[in-house]
Amino acid sequence: MTTPGMPIGSPLPDPAAGQGGLDQPAVTESAAEVHVATKLEETSGPGQTEVLRVEDLTVSFPTDDGLVRAVRGVSYAVHEREVLGIVGESGSGKSVSSMAVMGLLPKSARIAGKILYRGDDLLKKSPKQQRALRGKKIAMIFQDPMTALNPVYSIGDQLAEAVLSHEIMPRKQALARAEDMLALVGIPQPKKRLDNYPHEFSGGMRQRAMIAMAVINNPDVIIADEPTTALDVTVQAQILETLVQVKDEVNAAIVLITHDLGVVAGMAHRVLVMYAGKPVEIAETDRIFYQPRMPYTAGLLGSIPALESGGSGSRLRPIVGTPPSLINLPKGCPFSPRCPLATDVCHESEPALEPTDELGHVAACHHWDQLADVDDPTVFFRTESEAV
Amino acid sequence: MSDPTTPGPGPVPAAAAAADVQGMTVVARTQAQMVRRRFFRHRAAMGGLIALLLIVLLAFSSIGFANVPGWWDKDYWSIATVENGGRPTLSVIPTWLGGSGVHLGEHPFGQDNVGKDYFALTMRGVQQSITIAFIVGIVGTVIGTLVGATAGYFRGRVEAVLMRFTDVMITIPLLVVAAVLGRRYGDSGIVVLGLVIGLVTWTNLARLVRGEFLALREKEFVEAARAAGTSARRIIVKHMLPNIIGVIIVSATLAVAAAILLEAALSFLGFGVRDPDTSLGRLISLYQSAFSTRPWLFWFPGVFIIAIALSVNFIGDGLRDAFDPRQNRVRD
Amino acid sequence: MLVFIVRRVIVSFFILLAATFVMYLLTANAGNPLGDLQESRAPNREALIEARIRLLNLDTPAPLRYFIWLKGAAGCLAPFVFECDLGQSVQGQDVSALLGVAFTQTLQLVIAATVLAMILGITVGIVTALRQYSGLDYTVTFSAFLFFSLPIFWVAVLLKEYGAIRFNDWLGDPTVPIGVAVVLGVVSGLFWMIVISGDRTRRLTTFAAAFVASAGALWLLSETQWFADPGLGVVVIAVTAVGLAFLTTALVAGFTYRNVLYAALASAGVGIVCHFALDSVLDDPSAMIIVLLALVTVAVGVGLGYALGGLQRRQAIQAAVLTGLGTGALLFLDRLLGAWDTYSDRVSGRVIATIGARTPNFQGTFWEEGLDRATHLILPTIAIVLISFATYTRYTRSSMLEVLNQDYVRTARSKGLAERGVVVKHAFRNAMIPITTLMAFDFAGVLSGAVITENVFGWTGLGKLFTDALTRVDPNPVMGFFLIAGAAAVVFNMLADIAYAFLDPRIRLS
Ligand SMILES: Nc1ncnc2c1ncn2[C@@H]1O[C@H](COP(=O)(O)OP(=O)(O)OP(=O)(O)O)[C@@H](O)[C@H]1O
Ligand code: SF4
Ligand SMILES: [Mg+2]
Repeated sequence: MTTPGMPIGSPLPDPAAGQGGLDQPAVTESAAEVHVATKLEETSGPGQTEVLRVEDLTVSFPTDDGLVRAVRGVSYAVHEREVLGIVGESGSGKSVSSMAVMGLLPKSARIAGKILYRGDDLLKKSPKQQRALRGKKIAMIFQDPMTALNPVYSIGDQLAEAVLSHEIMPRKQALARAEDMLALVGIPQPKKRLDNYPHEFSGGMRQRAMIAMAVINNPDVIIADEPTTALDVTVQAQILETLVQVKDEVNAAIVLITHDLGVVAGMAHRVLVMYAGKPVEIAETDRIFYQPRMPYTAGLLGSIPALESGGSGSRLRPIVGTPPSLINLPKGCPFSPRCPLATDVCHESEPALEPTDELGHVAACHHWDQLADVDDPTVFFRTESEAV
Repeated sequence: MSDPTTPGPGPVPAAAAAADVQGMTVVARTQAQMVRRRFFRHRAAMGGLIALLLIVLLAFSSIGFANVPGWWDKDYWSIATVENGGRPTLSVIPTWLGGSGVHLGEHPFGQDNVGKDYFALTMRGVQQSITIAFIVGIVGTVIGTLVGATAGYFRGRVEAVLMRFTDVMITIPLLVVAAVLGRRYGDSGIVVLGLVIGLVTWTNLARLVRGEFLALREKEFVEAARAAGTSARRIIVKHMLPNIIGVIIVSATLAVAAAILLEAALSFLGFGVRDPDTSLGRLISLYQSAFSTRPWLFWFPGVFIIAIALSVNFIGDGLRDAFDPRQNRVRD
Repeated sequence: MLVFIVRRVIVSFFILLAATFVMYLLTANAGNPLGDLQESRAPNREALIEARIRLLNLDTPAPLRYFIWLKGAAGCLAPFVFECDLGQSVQGQDVSALLGVAFTQTLQLVIAATVLAMILGITVGIVTALRQYSGLDYTVTFSAFLFFSLPIFWVAVLLKEYGAIRFNDWLGDPTVPIGVAVVLGVVSGLFWMIVISGDRTRRLTTFAAAFVASAGALWLLSETQWFADPGLGVVVIAVTAVGLAFLTTALVAGFTYRNVLYAALASAGVGIVCHFALDSVLDDPSAMIIVLLALVTVAVGVGLGYALGGLQRRQAIQAAVLTGLGTGALLFLDRLLGAWDTYSDRVSGRVIATIGARTPNFQGTFWEEGLDRATHLILPTIAIVLISFATYTRYTRSSMLEVLNQDYVRTARSKGLAERGVVVKHAFRNAMIPITTLMAFDFAGVLSGAVITENVFGWTGLGKLFTDALTRVDPNPVMGFFLIAGAAAVVFNMLADIAYAFLDPRIRLS
């Protein structure tokens, strides 16, 4: 699936363009860690080498009201140049799991599991070793470019600092690199812009600067946490395009966190859907959009306005209800209170992430086969009158 | 088939507005509950509140006030013979611990050099100090809120005049202007003294309230109210002030704490409460040189000032945390 | 920027003008300046009253009288062109002359104390913010609340009694009994345990180490009669200077790249060498020489940093200069303590003073006179520091917490910047913006803050001038005091605005 240049407005990947890099998925032993091995047909397609693997990551926060179990067993792997999309409702633990990878969680957080960067467990490393990787091998782009840059230092200063945090070199040299990076992310007159302060940049330019900062040390993994949510629509597309270009330039993998299925459709090779701190479905992007095997995913698809797949109008069909409290999780499937397919077994036992009808497609649902039986899985989320 | 005109799951605008109004009041109530809960959980603030209430109770019930008699049989003006060097008779160590038992005795806090009962004197001091501090706090808060709200709401020339006036008043150091006023009004009784000092302690709050109002003014609900033709007074009182009540209450509390110390300082310098009346600051001032011979004359009023100021400061801190919990949390 | 400053100056001027008018009316209303004469029985009462009415222009109504006062005061703006005339006191003294004398006293009293309170308060505030909810944080928070609930005059009385009278008594025979040494050791152990914090073993070792070190040191100092003739000695100076070098390096650069440390150590080394080399120069120097030496220190620091800094030249210069100045201060302190012995004899053992700014008619070497000032300053300084320190810690703490919560701090961490850089460069730099305002306000209020301190400690500064005049109902000195205090308030508020604009680029441009 070649992503750059794809119009972001259309939520679904163009099937014709999509097949390039992603055929022949292979499955590893553990279903929860499925990844897609790919042929290196295109430079932008994912490579073979696994750069980041997260295994059974759990994060909880002790609070006054009890233990908040924000992440409850997340596993995934990303390869060189691969884009892994992580989607899920607000509060599903997307940011917390990626902050855990960055080692940026507050001290109060209790973290368990493994975070393997090229095979080394980051959680076993000393703070100093973690710091050496942070920003150098694993970089992060944040949601709000308006607040993510320090208002009192110039853009050049802040970019150079990213270099100087990992290498001692004359400032001039670091600034030169910063200038190159600004040029790379498409900021005109980069030399002049180095001396600007963040408030002299527009939102889109700041996010470009953030991207420049993230890639300045040639990282292997870039975690982009909702990089376009705070920007207006026209700028979003440009920023995503820049992100993909830059990724190819430095051969990095991207973990792209977003609410926006449209963004995922346009960019990601694979998608991980999170619900209540757990991955509930992992598959390659096309499968997620056309053959979801988890009702929650189907519900998300049903709430995309432009998705015209059941003949009904373009009415929003939000999933009713709210996500469960992460302090007192109910027994059984966390989605069961909101799930139209829920049965007794759903209220009793929480489904594990298991293989479905296609290699490399895993889902956590007792009744995934019911979704496989219908043409349009979003049908379960329609109101009566619509579903006729 | 679905009919886009029938009210489906999507709410119609009127219903939305109604739901919104309801939602807002619900939010407001839970907000107040949250504030209360956070305040009651704040241990230092609760300690402060209890201590303050106890001190007030003790001071006003012991020697009485106005024409209401108290349970303590001595007054703070009668001169008597000095017994046992005026030493305090208060004892808190029980006999079984080798002390002289728990009792108040004839003069629990001792006597001053002319034999006045020092407990009664101290209680009188507490009464006066607290009264002045509360008057100052209330007057300053009311004026500050009025000035700030008017300036922030009306903007334009009104704001310019009011804020320039505030700038002028802020230039005069509080202690200086309070001393000058105290020199003039110190012997007119504590109510007058409290009022005039209150007249000059509103400046910081005025700036604060104005800032908050400038921000609130742009909010939708204020614009909506204005568009609906609601009167300015009603918008200010009903819609805007409740939103910044936290700022005002916290500031008022801290103003009371500051006023306790200000009154003490003025009386100490001789520009506050005058003879024959007394206050805690005046007692310390009178007996500071007696420290090496009769230290209790110095300790008791001092301990009460500190206890009151500390209690009020803790209450203020608890209120601030309760209204703005964000201030005390950090991600890392 | 220039337009901004000029506009600010003009506005400030008019604000001050209006404030003097308000103040003039209030002062005129504060009491009856003829009161004492009207009650007197002097045979020439009428004449005296007449004379005072003329002296103070009392026959003119107050609002008009203000303009007479203003005309004279206007002369103070351009002191060499016009005569500065702030009127006369009831005794007929020239107010501008009175103010001149008092002003220097007050400055001496408040400047050191205020600067010290700022440095201490800001440092402690930062540390407590970084260690939120630790034992240290709770302890400091409680102490801060206690301190700003303390009436300064009350503290002052205690300080006089225990810090001066009884301390001086003790100096007559300065031995620390073993029991006291143990108790102080426990106190010090608890203190360090709170400061260091950590898990239980770490705390216990900290406690034990601090206890042994403090109690032992006290015992040793007592045995060697150190308190009778204190001093630092070259070993202590050298060790402290090297410690300083490490500390400044840790603050400005960290240790990954050694050149900064080398520069700082070299700077400390040069300082220690100077201890011997400048021996004779420092026997009885003049203030001029000290200032010169400080300048030389800065220059040497810059040179060392430049030469040894390598790729981190800027940081190396900072570290070297700071270390150099710190070492210099140590040497200064050592010399000052060197004069202790003779000074103590000359003031018959009453070393710590309770009253006044200097021992009357005291003359001696630079160090003896310096020590004389220091021993007079110490108690009022402690009193002032105790109280404004609390404000600074609380303010800095909350400002730091606010900033540490900001997204850009998270960004700085995500780059892999070392925690030191995150705190010093990103968090502190931003937290300083509101703190600067507080500092300016504090300096603005410093003069009026001195009113109480001066009264308690018997300093004849501006504050004392003010209260005395107000008690006597003597309007011109009151106005003179206010002119200075008000001008200070206006000027420092203005400086706060300008500093704000410099610190915050968002304001700088608009
Ligand atoms: N420091 C913390 N202490 C307590 N709970 C926390 C903390 N940080 C996050 N959480 C909780 O963890 C849960 C997951 O948060 P997270 O930020 O990962 O959600 P998200 O999926 O990124 O949502 P969004 O789309 O809104 O960014 C939330 O319920 C949040 O309240
Ligand atoms: S397990 Fe049951 S409740 Fe959960 S998603 Fe599947 S069908 Fe719905
Ligand atoms: Mg998030």
